[in-house]
Amino acid sequence: MRFGAHIRLLVTGLLLTFAVAFAVPVSAQQVNPTADAVRERQFLDALKGNPQAELQGRISIPDQKAATLERPAGRDWRAFHQGTMLRIAAIAVLGTLLALTAFYLIRGRVMNEAGPAGTTITRFNAFERFVHWLTAGCFIILTLSGLNVTFGKLVLLPLVGPQAFTNLSIVAKWAHNFLAWPFMLGVALMFVIWIKDNIPTLADLRWFAAGGGIIGKGHPEARRFNAGQKIVFWSVVLGGAALSVSGFYLLFPFYAGGVLNLQFWNVVHGIVSVLMIALMLGHIYIGSIGMEGAFDAMGSGEVDLNWAKAHHSLWVEEEMQKARAGSDNRLQPAE
Amino acid sequence: MARMKFLCDADRCIECNACVTACKNENEVPWGINRRRVVTINDGKPGERSVSMACMHCTDAPCAAVCPVDCFYTTADAVVLHSKDLCIGCGYCFYACPFGAPQYPKVGNFGSRGKMDKCTFCAGGPEADLSPVEFQKYGSNRLAEGKLPLCAEMCSTKSLLAGDGEIIAQIYKERVVKRGYGSGAWGWQTAYKDNIAI
Amino acid sequence: MLIKRKTADVQRGRLQAAIAGLSSGVMDRRAFLRRSGLVAGGVAAVGALQIGSVRKAEAAGLGPATGTKVVKNICTHCSVGCTVKAEVVNGVWVGQEPAWESPINRGSHCAKGAAVRELVHGDRRIKYPMKLVDGQWQRISWDVAINEIGDKMMQIRAKSGADSVYMLGSAKFSNEGAYLFRKFAAFWGTNNVDHQARICHSTTVAGVANTWGYGAMTNSYNDIRNSKTILFMGSNAAEAHPVSMQHILVGKEQNRANVIVFDPRLTRTAAHATDYIRIRSGTDIPVIWGMMWHIFKNGWEDKAFLAARVHGMDDVRKEVEKYDPKTVEDITGVPEAQLKRAAETFAKVKPATFIWCMGVTQHSVGTANVRAICNLLLATGNVGGMGNGANIFRGHCNVQGATDFGLDIANLPCYYGLVEGAWRHWARVWDVPYDYFVTRFDEVPAKGGRPARTRKANMETSGHTSTRWFDAANLPTEQVDQMDNLKAMFVMGHGGNTIPRMPDAVKGLEKLELLVVADPHPTNFVSLGGRKNGTYILPIGTQFECAGSRTCSNRSVQWGEKVVEPIFEAASDYFVIYKLAQKLGFAEQMHKNFEMVQGKFGPEPSAESILREINRGGWSTGYTGQSPERLKLHMEHQDKFDLVTLRGAQGSPVENDFYGLPWPCWGTPDLKHPGTHILYNTSLEAKNGGGTFRPRFGLTYERTLADGRKVSETLLAENGSYSLNSDIKDGYPEFTMGVLKKLGWDADLTPKELETITWIGGNNIDAVNWANDLSGGIQRVALKHGCVPYGNGKARANAWNLPDPVPTHREPIYSPRVDLVAKWPARPDERTLRIPNLHTSVQKAAVEKGIAKSFPIVLTSGRLVEYEGGGEETRSNKWLAELQQDMFVEINPADAAARGIKDGAFVWVSGPENNSKARVKALVTERVGKGVAFMPFHFGGFYQGQDQRGNYPKGTDPIVLGESVNVVTTYGYDPVTAMHEGKVTLCQIAAA
Repeated sequence: MRFGAHIRLLVTGLLLTFAVAFAVPVSAQQVNPTADAVRERQFLDALKGNPQAELQGRISIPDQKAATLERPAGRDWRAFHQGTMLRIAAIAVLGTLLALTAFYLIRGRVMNEAGPAGTTITRFNAFERFVHWLTAGCFIILTLSGLNVTFGKLVLLPLVGPQAFTNLSIVAKWAHNFLAWPFMLGVALMFVIWIKDNIPTLADLRWFAAGGGIIGKGHPEARRFNAGQKIVFWSVVLGGAALSVSGFYLLFPFYAGGVLNLQFWNVVHGIVSVLMIALMLGHIYIGSIGMEGAFDAMGSGEVDLNWAKAHHSLWVEEEMQKARAGSDNRLQPAE
Repeated sequence: MARMKFLCDADRCIECNACVTACKNENEVPWGINRRRVVTINDGKPGERSVSMACMHCTDAPCAAVCPVDCFYTTADAVVLHSKDLCIGCGYCFYACPFGAPQYPKVGNFGSRGKMDKCTFCAGGPEADLSPVEFQKYGSNRLAEGKLPLCAEMCSTKSLLAGDGEIIAQIYKERVVKRGYGSGAWGWQTAYKDNIAI
Repeated sequence: MLIKRKTADVQRGRLQAAIAGLSSGVMDRRAFLRRSGLVAGGVAAVGALQIGSVRKAEAAGLGPATGTKVVKNICTHCSVGCTVKAEVVNGVWVGQEPAWESPINRGSHCAKGAAVRELVHGDRRIKYPMKLVDGQWQRISWDVAINEIGDKMMQIRAKSGADSVYMLGSAKFSNEGAYLFRKFAAFWGTNNVDHQARICHSTTVAGVANTWGYGAMTNSYNDIRNSKTILFMGSNAAEAHPVSMQHILVGKEQNRANVIVFDPRLTRTAAHATDYIRIRSGTDIPVIWGMMWHIFKNGWEDKAFLAARVHGMDDVRKEVEKYDPKTVEDITGVPEAQLKRAAETFAKVKPATFIWCMGVTQHSVGTANVRAICNLLLATGNVGGMGNGANIFRGHCNVQGATDFGLDIANLPCYYGLVEGAWRHWARVWDVPYDYFVTRFDEVPAKGGRPARTRKANMETSGHTSTRWFDAANLPTEQVDQMDNLKAMFVMGHGGNTIPRMPDAVKGLEKLELLVVADPHPTNFVSLGGRKNGTYILPIGTQFECAGSRTCSNRSVQWGEKVVEPIFEAASDYFVIYKLAQKLGFAEQMHKNFEMVQGKFGPEPSAESILREINRGGWSTGYTGQSPERLKLHMEHQDKFDLVTLRGAQGSPVENDFYGLPWPCWGTPDLKHPGTHILYNTSLEAKNGGGTFRPRFGLTYERTLADGRKVSETLLAENGSYSLNSDIKDGYPEFTMGVLKKLGWDADLTPKELETITWIGGNNIDAVNWANDLSGGIQRVALKHGCVPYGNGKARANAWNLPDPVPTHREPIYSPRVDLVAKWPARPDERTLRIPNLHTSVQKAAVEKGIAKSFPIVLTSGRLVEYEGGGEETRSNKWLAELQQDMFVEINPADAAARGIKDGAFVWVSGPENNSKARVKALVTERVGKGVAFMPFHFGGFYQGQDQRGNYPKGTDPIVLGESVNVVTTYGYDPVTAMHEGKVTLCQIAAA
């Protein structure tokens, strides 16, 4: 967890935990603990300078979290969680859905313009597809159970009633806690197996310039993954890492180093999650109803050659060359 | 309608922990769950003060606001209670609570939490008043018996006050006037957006 | 949001009492006020009444509903005497409610008191008698246990004498238990009987009794509400006596009183001071004399008080001259200005009270420390009135009572001493021939150059102290002034880890042929050392499982009812002592005056009948008026007593009585003496609780002047000092039949009284006095004439019979200030209480070995609020144990930084004797100054880094174990009482 450790350091650096250092006047003449008593006012004043301030003391029980007497910073987290987070999530999720619907209505389905070639080319092998669906499956359940925490009481609770909602939420919580692990594994595997095809290149700039072929006309050249897919890849890798790290701390709160840190990781987890969800909605759209032939890549793993030529011309070329060079002719010409 | 509050007069508190064990005794609170605790600020320095802290039963309680399953409720005495049947042990109330009140029994794997437990102001929970099941889940219900929380009732120096906010504020105010000093109604600003003007 | 509605017809659980007028659990303001015992509009009064947690008033008036029995007992922890109100259903203690009616605690408790219910549920209690066979604990029956223990005792007695069996009793006993145990030792024939007072306030008792007559707190906790200056020295009441702080803090607030705290540590008590003064441990006398220096120099002393009621203050004045501010600052570290201000405040802002505890008493100069304080009180006229006095906070729930009843090597019950007259007095009370007791004692052969002792002489010789029991086992026989070394210990309710030099105790334990530990929990005696055989454990009920009276620090006697039957196979103290007496053959004689009742396992004496016997004999201390009936009446009407004066309300059944009939409560119960709230208070009539200083040191003092002339100085009060409405308007000696005759007051005696006096006096009837007149006639007549039975004397500033008649500073045995040792050395080596006391040799050796260099940190010790004493009971209580899970050492941040020690990390604390070391956690804090460390003394079960959990019988090990501070504490004993020097030694600390 070096990465996490670094982030934690950064965060604790920012959080400037309020060490109680109220000045105590000491005179050789008289020590008057009654007159010199620490007052709550001092803390409330300190809060004005640093809203994250915590009032720490000494306690004899081993639970050092209990040594924090007051931590009004929870207020900010509450405001975030009950306000900002809801808005961000609503905008991201509903906004994306709306945008995709609009796009679909305007642009319609992106068709395989050249029509089916009749021959297919293997785009993803079984292992790759397994990794994808492992991750995707987990992600969907994590999404639903996660969204339940934020929206459940607004949407589901009134529908199903308190006890049913709690039962559901408990299942959701366990699902979230357990499926987090295969999800993390999936992200890690994706990173390993696809990193070589996702190194950004100059071609990606051209791809962007051409609007990825969806918005403009004609398909820009692309290798195995076009720039858009690379964005999805890096988002999944980086976002997944962020979710993993933050999720890890939320799952093991005693490693997080205090409630302020937990609050921070919760904010990270929440924001990254909804951004990921928004992105994935787009990904799902384009991979299913948004584009003809795209689903096959992760479905059977075999894509139509014409589709491949249109979207990943350079990759098809490379594969062809490889096939020619190799004794084992993996491509089956369609003659 | 009475609005129940706690007030710890830190100029009386001697960190004797009677409130802590009285709570354990009355509610049979298990090891590791600390519904109430005493924190000493500026320990060992002249002017150190100890403050007994538990759930303050906040006005507009943050725990209730952030709870994803809405398991909190406020009684007519303004005591903030929750239902352990509904709680899913997510820990959000602990993130939000300014006083570190929510406690979780450690159950299962990971840092997984059981049903949240916290000070009930000795007012039990949503079960029938003074029923065995109420006692088992939430501890005693002294309010229903016409009594106040045992922590305050047993406080060695009458530092910890519990009861109608107006009355205990009045008591505190008179103490401060009488003795000429007071380190403040700890937590009142945060919990009740209120301070005792003297 | 839901709003919870409470319904009126709720099922009542624990307290089935439906509360009148409570239609709903919801409290509206009016209902609330009503329940708070306030009428509407009475809010202003709330503050004045200082009601902390307001509650309904009706409940007190409501009887408990069927099934729930409310039983009152007294908290078994400190000496404050908090009433515990137990709710019992079907013999199970199910709930604990605040006892609002107690004038002492008013519902309050500390952590321990609020957790006492656990004691009778404790799954870690000893469940049945056990014995150690080849290192394994075996369950045995009570009969087998008593038989085997008795046989072994008899065997040791035949071989080594009665003195070879040490009887270690307890400050946890009820008064009746303590008295019974002392009586048991007398029948067995030894004065080797002791209890925790030895390590608690033995030096206080010696010092105070030698100053003005009685060895007890002069006023009360409640009375501190009247004080305008409250001085603490070596007392951390906030942790040791938390509920006392209620009275103290209210006093502080209402009177805007000065609270001065002298302590090496900034304690939780010091945090509430108005003036905190840090002193070096072991320099109490220079601090007090430094204050006195300013007082005398500025003429702040109370001259009228000194002239009328004090003898010999000029001797003190002479000594005090040596303690100029510069000298005092050098020794104590206290700047002149601080000390002068404290002196002026104490002398001028009156009434001023002085509170002290173990910080003063646990020193090799403990008695002298106490004497110095007494002198400060006398010089400022701060004794014998409301709001002043020597408020000595005692430690255990009944350490005062156990001391009163002679669990002491030098006393029979009620401070009669060991002289022949004392033995004859108690023999009469017990209705056993005096000669019987003579035959029970050993004849001591001549040895070590000392002459032999007859049985009678041995019977009148003080025993061994508990602080050095292991020396009596370990030292060569000829050094031990009794027939043989110690061979057996019978320990009832006493920890093994509260006495310094534990490595020596370990050796001592291995020498014992028999060790009996009778306790609710296995004490450190069980786990310490490597005994394999000859150890017995007997399960004893706590005082909640036993009825009886207990005397709190302020001398009030409170009756506690049995809450539940002793749990598991535990038995009561009374039963065990009776059974053992039966086995040893003197049960019938010993119990002949007692009513035998059916206990859990068979007949045992009833507490009431034991108290009645005490009433028949306790004349010297005024333990005669506290009949069980009167005590029970007080418990029933606790709410009728005034919070400040402790006086029973007019028109109530306890009218005019002081709460708990604080001793002395003169005369027979019929006399209705109210008890004595404030000792030596001349502003009340003697029969109404007034008093005078007790002239117990003779009537005159022969002084040799510088020119060789001799003058005789009176020791009786002068200048019109006497208790209110006294017929004798001057000082007078104690009352005897002879004195009555001289005054012509013998005519006031009834024929029956005269008959008893004649029976006692035989052919010397004039010698019968107020303390041995079993009829109470002499006391009655004295009181009738407004006189105090013991006389009207002066307090002694110079206690000429003590080792340091006028206290002088002596450096601790292990002093960090080697440079001061030459000028202020320890006392020369001497023999005290049957063994050598090597003050000087040890101190000199420490200086020569450069101990102060290799062990540069001053180590002091003290209490934690969560635990008590040796701590097994409290460390086994899950509610308390959770709060203090580790033994620790407090170390100053500077010392910690210099040693690379982090807060919470393990360290080794090593002591200068026996290569001792203890592994504990560091608590880095500014509570202690640089060069000072503090360790609590309640831990045990670890020894020099070794976990000894396996030594406890399975399932009885306390939840929390830890090193005992006394592994590293050292030699040093008070010359009068052999109090150990637990509050100052040297140590070194290193990261572990």
